[in-house]
Amino acid sequence: MDISGVFDYLIGFAIMAMIYAIFTLGLNVHWGFTGLFNIGIAGFFALGAYTAALLTSPPPDPTQFEDFIFGGNLAQLGLFDLGIDLWFFVGVAAAAVVCGIVALVIGTITLRLSDDYLSIATLGIAESVRFFFLNEKWAANGSKGLYRIPKFMGDLVAPESYDYFYVVVVLIVLAILFVAVQRAARSPWGRVLRAIREDEVTTAASGKNVFHFKLQSFVFGAMIMGIGGALFAHHVRFLSPLTFDPLLATFVIWAMLMVGGSGNNLGAILGAFVVWGIWAGTQFLPGIFSDPSFRLLMIGVLIVAIMLLRPGGLLGEWRRIVERRPASATGREPAGPD
Amino acid sequence: MGSEGKSELTNSRPILQVRSVTKDFGGVRAVDRCSLDVLPGTITGLIGPNGAGKTTLFNLVAGTLAPTSGHIIFEGQAIGGLRPHQTFARGLMRTFQIPRELRRMTVLENLMLVPARQTGERLWSTWLTPWQVARQESRIQAQALEVLDLVNLAHLANELAGNLSGGQKKLLELARTLMAEPRLVLLDEPGAGINRTLLRDLSANIVRASVERNVTFLIIEHDMRFVMNMCDPVIVMANGSVISEGTPSAIQRDPRVLEAYLGGRVSGTA
Repeated sequence: MDISGVFDYLIGFAIMAMIYAIFTLGLNVHWGFTGLFNIGIAGFFALGAYTAALLTSPPPDPTQFEDFIFGGNLAQLGLFDLGIDLWFFVGVAAAAVVCGIVALVIGTITLRLSDDYLSIATLGIAESVRFFFLNEKWAANGSKGLYRIPKFMGDLVAPESYDYFYVVVVLIVLAILFVAVQRAARSPWGRVLRAIREDEVTTAASGKNVFHFKLQSFVFGAMIMGIGGALFAHHVRFLSPLTFDPLLATFVIWAMLMVGGSGNNLGAILGAFVVWGIWAGTQFLPGIFSDPSFRLLMIGVLIVAIMLLRPGGLLGEWRRIVERRPASATGREPAGPD
Repeated sequence: MGSEGKSELTNSRPILQVRSVTKDFGGVRAVDRCSLDVLPGTITGLIGPNGAGKTTLFNLVAGTLAPTSGHIIFEGQAIGGLRPHQTFARGLMRTFQIPRELRRMTVLENLMLVPARQTGERLWSTWLTPWQVARQESRIQAQALEVLDLVNLAHLANELAGNLSGGQKKLLELARTLMAEPRLVLLDEPGAGINRTLLRDLSANIVRASVERNVTFLIIEHDMRFVMNMCDPVIVMANGSVISEGTPSAIQRDPRVLEAYLGGRVSGTA
């Protein structure tokens, strides 16, 4: 591989790592700030991806080989054959909205109950979404998948340098989301979420409506995940239900947050790059070491090492330090040995 | 301290009325047709042997638990069955017997959480009007630092609350109540695990809040010296209901109270 090939590879790597960073940011809102145990990230990932894909795909073209072969009986049109063909960013926004609505419904039902119910519900929704798109062939072509997902501004950018354009698009979206989450996390809103994570009873006794804040956090995080799904769909440009298996669409994202530092937005992004680097990098190892099982084992080893050596992740939770005016900071007795 | 005849204010309307409140946990009746009044401006003590139902009564009044039956009336309005954030909004605040600090947040953040109606608690205003949020934040921060000065925790402002000692956590519990403008504060054993010096500070803070800010206190406490010095009237609970009520000196002479504490037949053996 020559040097430009290496560079092409790194750009492709950066796109995937940044898309994963978006999911990790969403999970950080859920788990890192609020303590919501979402183990069904794959569900929002898939919903976002399918929503964007369905809304932006052009109508089928019978002169195209794939449409003729895979499209099957064109007389029996499915949702995916409507060719809604909307603008890229409409699809991205719709992905966020759909994920937000689904999160609102699940959250309203389960967030009043104890934490376990939310986990079970998210796991359930992830599998439901996958089986919906697998079995309801009218919606998204079942296991044959969606393959007509357009490139954003694909007509204007040369195909051989398209990734160099798309990496900038993903970077801009990630940057906007990072600023939005960072602002929210360091505001009084984020303070209430962290208080809920620490102790719901105290937070309620401090006059906060715990349920409402949990619901807001759940919806906000799910919308971020939906946006990640939409960017993913336009990057790989082929979706089938098999894409969203729990391993690469839920577990890996949890690993990223744990490694990078739960409760730290920069840590979430760093973790996405580190874990995806290990996952993608180990495929070049010789022989048995490039087996998926071995590569997964490497991620497991990394998690254990992080948990033992740096339990807070590579970057721990950020702590707000307030400087006092020197006059009032001194001269106080310690508040007593107990 | 608080005994300048406050129990003579009997004709003013009670700030808190508990009427025949019962709470069952399965087969256990923790609170049994309990009725009591708390008069505005008082520092009322609530004592009784372990298992008398005092903390459960607090949980019922603050909304952490819903009563099985009976009425709880705060400033003329029924609050039985309201959720904790709703009773807080009406001016009622409580602390916890075992401190429930927010461990992985700083002491300052523990306090800055409390003030109600913060604009920055709306997600969109953190994006759209950050300057408003920042202005309110600096005001709340100044207030929190003042409160920390009051309870002698100022030097620990940036410390994670989980790292405080047991006594410091108790002070943090009290400090939380000073961050809001409650009209009734329920303190659950504020003195437990605090040394004498700290307890004096704590008492001074309670009296100051009572006098200067017109806060009414209902205090569960086992330290009798604290109760007899601070509280008037004193209400005694045993087996889920009120068995006696009066001035500290009257309570001390009441044979029913002795009986409840000693568990024997004090009055019957004579």
